Amino acid sequence: MKVNSSEYLRKVKPVLVKLRDRLLQEYPYASILAQDSVTKNYSVSKTSSGISMKPERGFVVKVFDGSSYAEYSFNEISEDTIEEIAVHIREDLMPLSDKLPEGVKKSCYAMLADEPMVFSDSTDYEIDPKEYGDESIMGELTKLSEAGRAYSDKILDCRAFASYQKYSKLFLSKNRDMEQNVLWTCGGIVAMATRGEEVKDSYRGFSNLGGVEILKEMSDNVNKVAQTALDLLESEPMVPGEYDCICEPGVTGMIVHEAFGHGVEMDMFVKDRALAKQFVGKQVASELVNMHDGALAAREVASYFFDDEGVLAQDTLVIDHGILKAGISDAQSAMHLGTQPTGNGRRESYSRKAYTRMTNTFFEAGKDKVEDMIASISYGFLLEEASSGMEDPKNWGIQCMVSIAREIKDGKLTGRICSPIVLTGYVPDLLKSISMVSDEVKLGGSGMCGKGYKEWVKVSDGGPYIKARIRLG
Amino acid sequence: MTDQILAALAKCGIDDYYINLAQDRSAQLFFIKKSLDMKRTTNETSATVTVFKTFEEDGQKYRGASTVKVQESMTPQELETMLADAYYAAGFVKNKYYELYHGTKEAMTEVKSGLTDKTLAQIAQGYAEALFAEDTQEKVFINSAEIFAYEHTEHIISSSGVDVAYSRKSAQGEFVVQCIDGQDVETYQSFAYNDWNPEALRAKAKSTIEMTYARAKAKSAPAAGNYRLILSGDYVSELLGYYSDRAESYMIYPKYSTFSVGCDVQGTEVTGDMVNLTLKADVPYSSEGIPMKDRELVRDGKLQLIHGGNRFAQYLGIEPTGNYNSMKMPAGSVTLAEMKAAPYLEVVNFSDFQMDTFTGHFGGEIRLAFLYDGEKVIPVTGGSVNGNIFEAQKTFVFSKELQQEERFEGPKSVCMDGVSVAGMNA
Repeated sequence: MKVNSSEYLRKVKPVLVKLRDRLLQEYPYASILAQDSVTKNYSVSKTSSGISMKPERGFVVKVFDGSSYAEYSFNEISEDTIEEIAVHIREDLMPLSDKLPEGVKKSCYAMLADEPMVFSDSTDYEIDPKEYGDESIMGELTKLSEAGRAYSDKILDCRAFASYQKYSKLFLSKNRDMEQNVLWTCGGIVAMATRGEEVKDSYRGFSNLGGVEILKEMSDNVNKVAQTALDLLESEPMVPGEYDCICEPGVTGMIVHEAFGHGVEMDMFVKDRALAKQFVGKQVASELVNMHDGALAAREVASYFFDDEGVLAQDTLVIDHGILKAGISDAQSAMHLGTQPTGNGRRESYSRKAYTRMTNTFFEAGKDKVEDMIASISYGFLLEEASSGMEDPKNWGIQCMVSIAREIKDGKLTGRICSPIVLTGYVPDLLKSISMVSDEVKLGGSGMCGKGYKEWVKVSDGGPYIKARIRLG
Repeated sequence: MTDQILAALAKCGIDDYYINLAQDRSAQLFFIKKSLDMKRTTNETSATVTVFKTFEEDGQKYRGASTVKVQESMTPQELETMLADAYYAAGFVKNKYYELYHGTKEAMTEVKSGLTDKTLAQIAQGYAEALFAEDTQEKVFINSAEIFAYEHTEHIISSSGVDVAYSRKSAQGEFVVQCIDGQDVETYQSFAYNDWNPEALRAKAKSTIEMTYARAKAKSAPAAGNYRLILSGDYVSELLGYYSDRAESYMIYPKYSTFSVGCDVQGTEVTGDMVNLTLKADVPYSSEGIPMKDRELVRDGKLQLIHGGNRFAQYLGIEPTGNYNSMKMPAGSVTLAEMKAAPYLEVVNFSDFQMDTFTGHFGGEIRLAFLYDGEKVIPVTGGSVNGNIFEAQKTFVFSKELQQEERFEGPKSVCMDGVSVAGMNA
């Protein structure tokens, strides 16, 4: 089934066209991004359940005054307020640059490309969350939460949650009239086990570009999550050192996304904040590594047809057999750098600025079998459950955390677990050390990605199992 | 919009509700080096409506709740449909029954500060001027910055008598300092102020410039091992946030936390300073309309208060306090000079410091630290701190020197013994 378009955007579009035309009388470039979205969150645990719905309708106008860009975000419009908006832009927004600190000037840009384009499309789904209904979704989550808690009397709690977002976006400029309708769903299970003051938890996320068909996959995994939480109670601290490691796809994804992906966001090139800028055309990883990013590169939660600046989505080959080929960019950064935008200009919402952001980011599959990869290690660890990561585009320092390191001795898992684990080191050292890559790729998109500590957008990441040499602490 | 919502609630037969109306305006400036790259303004009005349904199942009484965000552009029919859907959904939320918080009608409160009489443009421009005032060198400079001036007005109405409102202005943002003298390195820094305090931002810019210059001289990671660790600035409040988090009613009721009033939050083997913390009210009312005031949380290592919103407070049979974001702590027992008299590793910048409330684990990758071996101070970079507060809290020593940020007023630094660091030669 195809996701429906927005009735609200259809109704408000004539008003937006009038606003665009009014602004084009005053500015050589004006565009409007309109958003109508509904996000619904469901959660069940032992002592707390909840349902929340966040419909969000709003607009962002971007104008060009001949040398620089300005934006106004708002969430109410009618025929009567068109002139009011134009006056606000002229009298409140544009003068913001009249008083700048000493020695600071305005940036000087060319006008954004605005080739004619008319576009409309929607993503597909199997089970519509709205039709499936709140009762059924809460019922499924309640069963999962209860099953997790019943797994062992050492399980303190088991929280099951799910979210979906259905969004419609409309992009209007002088020459563009684009519309898209997208639905994604994600969920998660967290089991908590306790020993004295310490509470250990295990988390598993689920996601898809589509509807609540993921609930089945969640129910298949609840016991595994509960068992891992129990295993973690017996975990030991890691002895710091450099080890041969196998990374499961979720950990591979975190390395792809946090350690490398943020470094090829080309708004960082503009600011001279990314070491990758100096490495385009050079080897940055083992020749076994091929890396992609793009809303068109995979069918996951960050798939769309055009970005928040009206640029069509793409599949960008970032690393080709270990060689850094290209970065990803929003429209303004591409203009600054003299490159082509890659459809990666994304906003947290209509009320936030667009930045270069990742979408679906992953390593391609290789040819190895996971069991052969484990068998190849005399002493090392299998790393599971990526928990958090932070980018360092400037220096390519790695800061990633995982919850589980399963000990491998003489090619076999011993059952011993270390937790929590901090991965550190220099990104190209890790990527160049990749010596085996499994034959199956898995992407996950249950979380959100920030730019620094804000600007949260939905992304997916992943890849195959990889074998690498990694410093653990 | 309030009248529209109340009419729709009545039409849907919804008797129990909360309405949180928000009006948000902002002025935003984005800089790349010494150029203004983008300017933005925002103006948004919305309301969050929480509807409650009381029902019984198998002899157990429940209070279900469902929240929906609504906007003025919604037609009366859309509004009714959304609220009716939310009310229906609330019937599947099986939370143990509780009474809604009972409040009263109060006059609008304007949170007075040095920002009150300034326009958003003046606030953004004033803080921009303060930030760039220290940007005077060629090889160490502000790489990029984002400055946001906000005005937030909130009106909270409930079916149980709450009718309160307040407005406040604030400034926040972030900046990155780059140094190209020797190594090319950078430092990220954020800031947030409820008052007109450009001198604080100027001082922060100055210290970040100095820190980044030092980082450019740092060449290697510290050797792996256990260190007497010093944390400063934001990391002190993030570490102490463990005590505030573990004392929240939503953590205690489901037994995620074992804290109870009077318990020794640092354990019973403390050889260093005792923790003293007060929760600081930074808004007049919580989102449930509960009047907020400063409250003592920990005195000499003993918990004084379990805090949080209405529902879990009722479950625990305690007074609801509202939810806090800020804390303060008195000065510690030693000066920074005394703290640094013995060998130490002082981490002044992590790539992303984490304090896990559940496991007690804290740490992160070291962007810049100063290592004192008893003879000289060496800047180091790389490696990671991997500590646990259950052990570290026994030896906390806090500085007499203080820091003042929006969310924390208290000692500038804390020192602790025997913290594991993964570094070179491991």
